[in-house]
Amino acid sequence: MSALRTEKVLSVHHWSEQLFSFTTTRDPGFRYESGHFVMLGINDNDGGRPLLRAYSIASPAHADALEFLSIKVADGALTSRLQRIAPGQDLLVSSKPVGTLVVRDVRPGRTLYLLATGTGLAPFLAIVQDPETYEKFERVVVVHGVRKAADLAFADLLDQGLKRDPWLGEAVTRKLLYYPTVTREPYRNSGRIPDLLRSGKLFADLGLPPLDPAHDRAMICGSPAMLRDTAALLTERGLAISPGCGEPGDFVIERAFAER
Amino acid sequence: MTFVVTDACIRCKYTDCVTVCPVDCFYEGAAMLVIDPEACIDCGNCIPECPADAIVRDFDADAAPWLALNAHYAAIWPNITDRKAPPADADAHKSETGKFARYFGEISK
Repeated sequence: MSALRTEKVLSVHHWSEQLFSFTTTRDPGFRYESGHFVMLGINDNDGGRPLLRAYSIASPAHADALEFLSIKVADGALTSRLQRIAPGQDLLVSSKPVGTLVVRDVRPGRTLYLLATGTGLAPFLAIVQDPETYEKFERVVVVHGVRKAADLAFADLLDQGLKRDPWLGEAVTRKLLYYPTVTREPYRNSGRIPDLLRSGKLFADLGLPPLDPAHDRAMICGSPAMLRDTAALLTERGLAISPGCGEPGDFVIERAFAER
Repeated sequence: MTFVVTDACIRCKYTDCVTVCPVDCFYEGAAMLVIDPEACIDCGNCIPECPADAIVRDFDADAAPWLALNAHYAAIWPNITDRKAPPADADAHKSETGKFARYFGEISK
């Protein structure tokens, strides 16, 4: 196991019965790229091995604090305890951030689609708060698929909040589009991400042209079914997946997902 | 589930996998690397990194004997956390088959 750092919880926010997020201190020596994940957890009461799971970092590379988004699993070894954390408590964070969801591994293009379900939104929260993303793309589209509207964590930030950011606001206002979609109750947008892409509804709703491998790029993070179906569709439409870390492609996918 | 290093690693040891492992779960023997199945978190980062395609999932058809070998040697060999230069003739052994029978015992002596 790579070395673990101890960070202190700064804040906790419960979005719904399913989702919560929290921020921690950040050791100044801890460096990562927006989109990376780390192992995060707590010391086991038994004094045995610490209890750790992979978590994407939701805060951008330049942030002073670390932020994480988590589901609550009633019988989940870690999240059943993690969802009860409070400010001031210690959390363990591994010192080797890695991952495939980095803008560096996406070829230059016009539009970057960030396609997430559930807590798969986390790495994209980092990416949309990183100025480098807006330097590289003319348009950035966040698509967040959830079951219930209450699970649309960070919706206000993505819809309006970032536009008011003194540093990023101008670029966000011009370039960022947010498309929340809900599958298990009525909402203004509904349907699974691969279906919205396949039917073209997503593009029609946003006023964007259909998928074009010459200009469109994507990053995918979410449930195994969404990931599989979306990657298959993009491949079918002529987009090439990144062969591995450090080798750019038209799209990248995250394979590691917390609490499997 | 875990990922498992097969004998395709033998005499290649490109070690690209080590750089992307979030939990540093690779262990290095003279002949090849192995993964500690207890530590692997199944993130899949290492799979596309391997130029020899030596890493498989534990439920893949040919994984079973390699899983036992990985578990055994991960407890004995030293942890490897940084990429290192592969053997000079690594590319010559990249697509060779049957490397375990041919080399493992000899190199590991």
